[in-house]
Amino acid sequence: MTRFSARQLVLTLAAALALWGVLAAACLFAGSSGFGWPRDRYLLRVRAEPVLLASLIGAALAVAGVAYQAILKNPLADPYLLGVSSGASLAAYLWRLPAAGLFAGLGAIWSQQAFALAGALAAVGVVFTLASRRGRIEPVTLLLVGVIVNAVNGSIFLFVNAIRPELAQDGGAIAFLVGRIPTNVDGRQVSVAACVCGVLFILLLAIAPQLNVAGLSEAEARSLGVRIGRLRWTALVSASLMTAVAVAVTGPIGFVGLVCPHLARRIVGHDARRLLPLSAAIGAGLLALADTLSRTMIRAVDTWLPVGVLTGLLGGPFFLYLLYRQRNSQAWGEAAT
Amino acid sequence: MILRAQNLRFAYRADRPVLADVSLALASGRIAVLLGPNGAGKSTLLKLLLGHLTAASGTVEWDDRPIARMKPAELARIVAYLPQSPGFEAGQTVAELLRAGRTPYLAAFGIESARDAQVVRDTAELLQLGDLMDTPVEELSGGQRQRVFLGRALAQEPRAFLLDEPNTFLDLRHQARLWDLLRRLARERNLAILAASHDLNLSAAFADELVLLHEGRIAATGSADEVLRPELLSRVYGIAMERVDRPGKPPVVFPDID
Repeated sequence: MTRFSARQLVLTLAAALALWGVLAAACLFAGSSGFGWPRDRYLLRVRAEPVLLASLIGAALAVAGVAYQAILKNPLADPYLLGVSSGASLAAYLWRLPAAGLFAGLGAIWSQQAFALAGALAAVGVVFTLASRRGRIEPVTLLLVGVIVNAVNGSIFLFVNAIRPELAQDGGAIAFLVGRIPTNVDGRQVSVAACVCGVLFILLLAIAPQLNVAGLSEAEARSLGVRIGRLRWTALVSASLMTAVAVAVTGPIGFVGLVCPHLARRIVGHDARRLLPLSAAIGAGLLALADTLSRTMIRAVDTWLPVGVLTGLLGGPFFLYLLYRQRNSQAWGEAAT
Repeated sequence: MILRAQNLRFAYRADRPVLADVSLALASGRIAVLLGPNGAGKSTLLKLLLGHLTAASGTVEWDDRPIARMKPAELARIVAYLPQSPGFEAGQTVAELLRAGRTPYLAAFGIESARDAQVVRDTAELLQLGDLMDTPVEELSGGQRQRVFLGRALAQEPRAFLLDEPNTFLDLRHQARLWDLLRRLARERNLAILAASHDLNLSAAFADELVLLHEGRIAATGSADEVLRPELLSRVYGIAMERVDRPGKPPVVFPDID
């Protein structure tokens, strides 16, 4: 048993960084123009930009996944459960409504990403408001309300699509429901997103020891000195903000936030102090790899496959594997009671 | 006295008090057991003593300090709690669970001191869990699991220990072993122990003091000889009881069934 000293914390962060570095560097070898290290600085930049953006988004989703799974006491929890993605998709779609329409003027002032962020935060805000009672949030109620808000958002989306089909231009309405790493993003926007995610990551890392006992019963967590109510709010709001920022930039990219924490758990166990950095690295590396794969596949399938499709294709079977395993283990049920 | 509770009153609904005028004191190195039928208020009393519920009136003091003025981490360094069915996550190892016991001592980012690591090692040794440290908890037997949960609580280095029906999932041998261990901890570590239990005889065998709750009030308190009176138990549990006295040992009681 290694003591988790300050040195261990630094080593853990360094190891996570190194893992991401290797995966990200591997991504730079591949591009739509062929394989090999970029010949010039321009090509390096062209390849590095999406790798960095995909890494940021992947890390944010994976870290949010760790927090959600801990607080909701559910290994199948993913960052989109509480309405963030459906809220963002719906808002991004509504942004297309003429400025004179529903949100007079706003569409002209705000970028589509800002609109998506507002939508994500509004949806998760509704979920928190409906699921909390006198400032207390119950994980099970939160999950139920999240599922329902997601469903309602989806229905509104389809309703708008039915009455105003012309809103869905290039790529159709589906483009709003499948995430992709954009190539034409505003550098400032990415910087802001990176700063927000960085600060929230440090916050979650600071409360990692409390996250470790969030899976126990409320009474046990409290008797270990944890203010469970405050912990739930801090972790869920942080994770939701991170997810909202990510989804606003790329749209909903599935399974990263669900699968990466599990991959990391297989390597370092349940300890959030190690799990958070490693999940971030795995999320960053895998989404960068998946995005690179989707870009290089342009030549094979003659179209740019959104990375959200790929993560779904790869992550879906893994999700089923988890369900299958959970069926054979009652421990989560015991832990949740 | 490590714990002093005075005139506790609590009600979930104003017209139906769950506890009324309950006073209790707990000394270091002593074992007290809360007895009483379902709904007598045992679990509620434990929750009040742990600060998980707030009494409508009355006071709870740990180490002469009112509970309301203590931070959760401060309280967690004085009293540990073991619920009826303690929780864990699938795949969580023994070491991870024992280390969780150090939560009230950890610095930001969960940095562990040399003492944190030492306490976990000593606890594992005391409870003979050294060889199981990397084993997932779900792979352990009921008796081993109970030792791990006990270990988590002991890693808190508490001065008092509250347990809610610790025997629930254990066979007879493990029940006796658990109580034996608790008694050793009380004597050797000067730990004050308060457990809620349904097992009158096992409690009588190991406790220094029994506290019998009935409809939210203390019906009797004292030694096994004083509390385990058939007429009193019959009234509290609503079933005829019989008692057998044994020289030099606590009496044994059981339902008087034809």
